[in-house]
Amino acid sequence: MKTKTTLRGAMLTTSAILISAGAALAEDYTRFGIKEDVPGACSFASIDAKDYSGRTLNIITHAIPVIGEPTALHAQQFQELTGATVNVVHVPFGDLFQRIMIPFQTGQQAYDVLFFASLWLGDFNAYLAEVPQAYQEVSGMQSVTPTYKGVASWNGKMLNYTMDGDRHYLKFRSDVFDNPEMQALFKEKTGRDLTVPATWEEYNEVAAVFNNMDWDGDGAPNFGTAEVTKRDDLMFSAFISRVAPYAKHPDVKGGFFFDLETMEPLVNTPGWVRGLELFVAAQASMPPGGTSFGLGDEIFSFGGGQTLMSYSWDDAFIQAMQADSPIRNKVAAAPLPGAREVWNRTTGQWDTFETPNTAPYVTWGWSSAVAAGSQNQDMAFDYLCFFSNEANTLADLQIGRFGVNPYREAHFDPAFYQTELGWDANVATTYTDTLKAIDGGQNQVFDLRVPGVGEFMSSLAAGVARAQSGEASAQEALDGVAAEWKAIVDRIGVDRVREAYANVVALEDN
Amino acid sequence: MYRQKYIFLLPGLLVLVAIILFPLLFTIRVSFSSWDVYNPGLNWIGGENYARLWEDARYWEALIRLTFLTVATVTLQYTLGFALALLVWRDIAARRFFRVLFLVPMMTTPVVMSVIWRTIFHESLGPLNPILEAIGIDAQPWLSDAGFALAAVMIVEVWQWTPFMFLLLLAGLLSLPNEPFLAARIDGAGPIRTFLSVTLPMMGAISVGAILIRLIEASKLMETVYVLTSGGPGTATETTSYYIYIRGMRDFQIGYSASLSLTYLIVMSVALTLIAKALIRLMVKDRT
Amino acid sequence: MRTFYLSLKYLAVVLWSAFVIFPFLWMLSTSFKTANAVTAGAKWLPWVQFEPSLAGWQSLFGGVGGINIVKPYLNSGIVTLSGSAIALVLGTLAAYGLSRFTFKAGPLGNGDITFFFISQRIMPPIVLAIPFFLMLRFLGLLDTLPGLILIYVAMLMPIAVWVMVDFFNSVPRGLDEMAWMDGCAPVTTFVRVILPNAVPGLVVAAMFCVIFGWNDFFFAFTMTFTEVQLLPVSIVALNSSVTPWWSLSAAAIVSVAPLAVLAFVVERFLSRGGLAGAVR
Repeated sequence: MKTKTTLRGAMLTTSAILISAGAALAEDYTRFGIKEDVPGACSFASIDAKDYSGRTLNIITHAIPVIGEPTALHAQQFQELTGATVNVVHVPFGDLFQRIMIPFQTGQQAYDVLFFASLWLGDFNAYLAEVPQAYQEVSGMQSVTPTYKGVASWNGKMLNYTMDGDRHYLKFRSDVFDNPEMQALFKEKTGRDLTVPATWEEYNEVAAVFNNMDWDGDGAPNFGTAEVTKRDDLMFSAFISRVAPYAKHPDVKGGFFFDLETMEPLVNTPGWVRGLELFVAAQASMPPGGTSFGLGDEIFSFGGGQTLMSYSWDDAFIQAMQADSPIRNKVAAAPLPGAREVWNRTTGQWDTFETPNTAPYVTWGWSSAVAAGSQNQDMAFDYLCFFSNEANTLADLQIGRFGVNPYREAHFDPAFYQTELGWDANVATTYTDTLKAIDGGQNQVFDLRVPGVGEFMSSLAAGVARAQSGEASAQEALDGVAAEWKAIVDRIGVDRVREAYANVVALEDN
Repeated sequence: MYRQKYIFLLPGLLVLVAIILFPLLFTIRVSFSSWDVYNPGLNWIGGENYARLWEDARYWEALIRLTFLTVATVTLQYTLGFALALLVWRDIAARRFFRVLFLVPMMTTPVVMSVIWRTIFHESLGPLNPILEAIGIDAQPWLSDAGFALAAVMIVEVWQWTPFMFLLLLAGLLSLPNEPFLAARIDGAGPIRTFLSVTLPMMGAISVGAILIRLIEASKLMETVYVLTSGGPGTATETTSYYIYIRGMRDFQIGYSASLSLTYLIVMSVALTLIAKALIRLMVKDRT
Repeated sequence: MRTFYLSLKYLAVVLWSAFVIFPFLWMLSTSFKTANAVTAGAKWLPWVQFEPSLAGWQSLFGGVGGINIVKPYLNSGIVTLSGSAIALVLGTLAAYGLSRFTFKAGPLGNGDITFFFISQRIMPPIVLAIPFFLMLRFLGLLDTLPGLILIYVAMLMPIAVWVMVDFFNSVPRGLDEMAWMDGCAPVTTFVRVILPNAVPGLVVAAMFCVIFGWNDFFFAFTMTFTEVQLLPVSIVALNSSVTPWWSLSAAAIVSVAPLAVLAFVVERFLSRGGLAGAVR
């Protein structure tokens, strides 16, 4: 089940937090599939010392395998070590919100530990327990990058327990980009050199040139771009990735989705409209059915070698890098494309950028929390701390389908992916460089973590879908969304939304 | 002895009322509140939700779309179900095998089958387009074109629920008395005239019942839409139930979705009553 | 001419059979695939076109990174059968009452009461989630089998009433009246005389109850937490970010199997002609 590792030495030098001298003498926990226990407050040894027999821990998590499988695996281990009974229920993403929210709102204590999308923090915060100081100080939490600590906090309190890091980035077929024939073809058609797209205009251009041709020589046509385009299936997230560089001006503070002062929606400003127009234009370079791709389809399309480029979370990249994948080591990662023209809403005009403006979108991210109403908070936090201890995380990172992605400084070392996962140097380096650039990047964009985020996003997705299908122009569609957003803000309460959105803006404008 | 009649009706009626009364009253009450993701509770906002609903073009468009989808699929199911029932009614070999086979689609779990159908309609990885190409038809944009997406939803509905019609109509056919058919044969009536003047009139009552129930069930079409198209492209396949799902479970606008549901309940009850009357007049001759 | 008609008939039957079977064959084939076999495009034949794998099936029976559907299978069986049985008993009694006697409640008559039963199925279930949740919470029945059975009774009874009213309407009233004249009370008449004649109708009603109960997802999903899981809920626990075509295909086959057996039972009753008027 777990990759047996042989290059123990290389591992040690790569991970500063791995201090194994003392652990060598302790009990052997490698039977749990880890390489070795890492001493700390939540290590295998520390958890082993606790006795929770006779108590029950109820956990709700995502469907198997992404996050769901590690949840179950560590629950099983936790049960063995502490004697507690741990129940886990797995729920598909589309149904997770309501399954958590109904018990919350009706005052029913249903689950102790919850795994969910961190953008729901604006809705859930009232029902979550703060992470106790002691757990914030464990080594595993101390080494979480500031970006992901920020994502876990609400009004200065840490309410989410960080156990994963997620973001959107660009994935492309390096074998095509490096192929001289393809480079020549591209030059011939466009008059410029084939480079990794630095703007979304370039992205669309590259996608169009390599669309509907058999560039991998397998007899079947290949296509330009795979994107999440299916309404109500996380399409909003893909759309925001495309919009961000046009609408997030590095010098304009005070909000990306709304103007924080007036709480006027910005979704129909020219930067957003440009992003949508390019999203709509890219449809011509998508594979058959690509205009109704859900996340699963996008993963299969890029991960299966059908398309040249894609952007979203890690899954498609990991799928492409599976040991038995036909395109293993033929892919590379890069930060999301940027924009040379950025809308400046204070001056009301387009500003031109010599170096394309980038706006890394730190989207969604699996996170976890403990319910405020839980009678088992001690055990619940121990479980989460154990889930994300250094030994477990290093093992989980190696299993692509687990969906646990880098979120600690130590995870951004390319050597780890080369030695443990057998990635080519180029793949590993572009991957970690990309993640580092996003994590430490300027001009970040975060999810709209306010009460009613579901309403805002389903309204946005419906508007974008109207433009995609040609029912409305980009401007009309987004004007409609802006009107709906105003109504939602009025219903939920403008001060309430502003107060919540201030938290997000604080992350962006720091 | 008629005093005992309540022994029959009341247990079922009371149990049903007991189970459904609170949810129904609660829903009515909620529809006058602004219960949402932030304010769980029964505040009173008067008819605000209903006013909003009145102007909600997406809801009414979805209702019109649903009407079209429902009428079209149920008509198809009825026609096909009747045809199939006639086919395996008599003189065909292995008819018992075919009868069982034709029933099975109804027994699959919709929530799982819709995912399977999505794989079938998948335009580059699914089996449908290669098969079409093999018999000389071009690949089609099953889920990414408005018309085809509607067709895809209808195909799934027809596949899954034609068996329902088939079963009821076959049962009806098998229970028909023989005499009218003998009489028709003596008159020298051909198969088409026999069907129109003998079979169809006798199948009237059962047809009305089957059509009404299917109309009710088909109108709740939600899961298939969610998985196949999420209501897209654009809003091309958005049905009322799916829209209520989006507002209720995704947006968590519990108050508003309650008002949507109650309006839907009223519209449907009125429509079904009218349809039932019309169908009975049209199809049932000997109704007392 | 006659042969021509007959061959047309066979052609139609074969075409429809192909349409019915096609998704099942595709599921069967897909259930042995891996991600690589799926992304290689539509393939049908294991070994010839793709390397088969048992992962999809193993994931249903406690394999690595899977679920174990044995307990959900039993739970689903218990809930479906008890819910259907209760709904059937209550529904049959009510249907008999509605068929044989006249009820008046103000302006409302039998037809309206029957419509009331059936109208319970009009409401979209989504909106009932929270009230049902609150009700079960009040009764302490959340996340329990009895709680689900309670909801299923309400959900399935309308179907039973609808089928049985039509059925009893087609059973000659003379049967009842003869028994009454012999001095039987209505209840005795119902049990001794009418019920034995109603078995085929009960079979159809039971089949519909079981189908709708077994395949319900929404209530089974909303009214439970971690303790009680029904089959459809535990199957979709495998529907993650990467859509696992293989395990969902295997699951679809596994979950339809017991009901397909039901199809044989129903067909037996049909062929005996025993269903005479079952649904008139």
